[in-house]
Amino acid sequence: MRKTKKEKQQVFQWLLLIPTVLFFCVFLVLPFVLLIVLSFRDIDSMQNLLDTYSFSHYIEVFTSDIYIDAILSTLGLAAVTTVLCIVFAYPAAYLLVRAPSRRLRALFYILLVSPLLTSVVIRTFAWIVLLAQNGLINDILLKLHIISEPLSLLWNMKAVVIAYVQVMLPFAVLPIATSLSETNPNLRNASMSLGAGRIQSFLKVTLPLTIPGIISGAMIVFSLAAGSYITALLVGGRMQPIFPLSIYQQVMQVFNLPLAAAMSISLVFIVLIFVGILGLILKRWEARMHG
Amino acid sequence: MAKKARKKLSLLDTLVWIIGIVVYLFLILPILVIVFSAFSPSEYPEFPPTGFSLKWFTAVFGNPQWLDSLWISVILLIIVTPLTVILGTMASYSLARLNFRGKELIQSLILSPLMIPQVVLGIGLLYLFTMMGINGSIIALVVGHMIVCFPYVVRTVSVSVSNLNPVLEKASMNLGATPMQTFYKVTIPLIKPGILAGAVFSAVTSFGEISISLFVSAPSTVSVPVRTFGYIDQTFDPTINAISVIFIIISVFALVIIEKTIGLSKVM
Repeated sequence: MRKTKKEKQQVFQWLLLIPTVLFFCVFLVLPFVLLIVLSFRDIDSMQNLLDTYSFSHYIEVFTSDIYIDAILSTLGLAAVTTVLCIVFAYPAAYLLVRAPSRRLRALFYILLVSPLLTSVVIRTFAWIVLLAQNGLINDILLKLHIISEPLSLLWNMKAVVIAYVQVMLPFAVLPIATSLSETNPNLRNASMSLGAGRIQSFLKVTLPLTIPGIISGAMIVFSLAAGSYITALLVGGRMQPIFPLSIYQQVMQVFNLPLAAAMSISLVFIVLIFVGILGLILKRWEARMHG
Repeated sequence: MAKKARKKLSLLDTLVWIIGIVVYLFLILPILVIVFSAFSPSEYPEFPPTGFSLKWFTAVFGNPQWLDSLWISVILLIIVTPLTVILGTMASYSLARLNFRGKELIQSLILSPLMIPQVVLGIGLLYLFTMMGINGSIIALVVGHMIVCFPYVVRTVSVSVSNLNPVLEKASMNLGATPMQTFYKVTIPLIKPGILAGAVFSAVTSFGEISISLFVSAPSTVSVPVRTFGYIDQTFDPTINAISVIFIIISVFALVIIEKTIGLSKVM
């Protein structure tokens, strides 16, 4: 009698799950499969689809200087963004976890989450207001007579990095804060009572224990930075060698969908490789810490 | 000796706190800038401010294009939020209770829109919708938004479900309730905070979604972020400041609701 009840419950739970699985199969897995097929389809000189398949688009992606350059600088951009995010996220996470009062902690959370709840377009627009030729920073610097000519702060990679760090920082702070809050403060106290200095205790005890948080933050930030295009387009301009931007332009301006598909699939695999390596390091590290 | 150590300690502590606070200021800086310049009378905001003006707000609400977009964005949010919340709640509940091979695969599939390059999601859906003949329609936008909102709903609801004791459900079943009745009368009321927080996240994410919308919308279905993108891309238009303030007000509301229902620290 009880068993049938349990079975009934299980059937019910499966029924609850199936619509979502179907939704994701149709609108996430299927488009991805279609993109893979499309990326192998040949086109004629007028960009009409032909019925033959080949690696031609992939060969174009990985032999043309423009695309290789764009891939490399995108990886560089993602790496720089990730490192900066982790470096800045650590003190922010520390404050979040060690805040002396609940009120203060809530305030830090609000400061951390409110950017996440504001559209990327809006946050990017704010950087334009700040960095433009007649923007706020130039205005202030001119009025303080620090500079006599407005600096050109916008439309370059530095602007993209600044905006990326601001947009993606919360994704690095949260996992680091989680792993910081899970570390036992007694361990650090033990290390210090055994004569280790504060910096030494941090490097030898706290930091290693928070490596998992750092790596999962890095995984998210890296994949976001390697795949975004809105901020890059608005702050960096159309000429920056950023791969997702090249893909966007292939679709919206050149209308070469098969090449864009090959570029997209390449991007996904490149990101997967890097995130996969980080994941492996994480697994290794956890195995070393716990076993 | 001990005193010296403590002094060094507090110096280091102060340094960490200063850096941390600077990082938080950096995080909030764009929002402060927008609020500041939305009420500024000149095209480019000046510091110190030269006056106070609401003219950018009247410019937004006097422009039929912006009103159309506002309408599209609100409709999207109203359709996307309940659909995502219902499907997402059902899915997170069963994923928490069921044990089967491939469960992790399904979990990572549902969370994957957070990590997949947005440009790829956009092109994939653009291609699929074009084949189906629905690209540029409201349905296309609804689906695109749902994909992006799903991970947030599943994450917040999962937190609530994992705090829920399965014994309560068992008790309800033993007292003769069907699985469906148990789900409605016991489970849902108990995980309500997670569902509500998920709904808020979903609504805010849908309202601000741009990366996929840009690919799958038509001139008649331009949401507020997509129109904003167009304006910024072509010219510098200070009415964007007023639009931005609307976004910020919405996110402040969202923050308050999440904090009051489930607590920010729990969902993130």
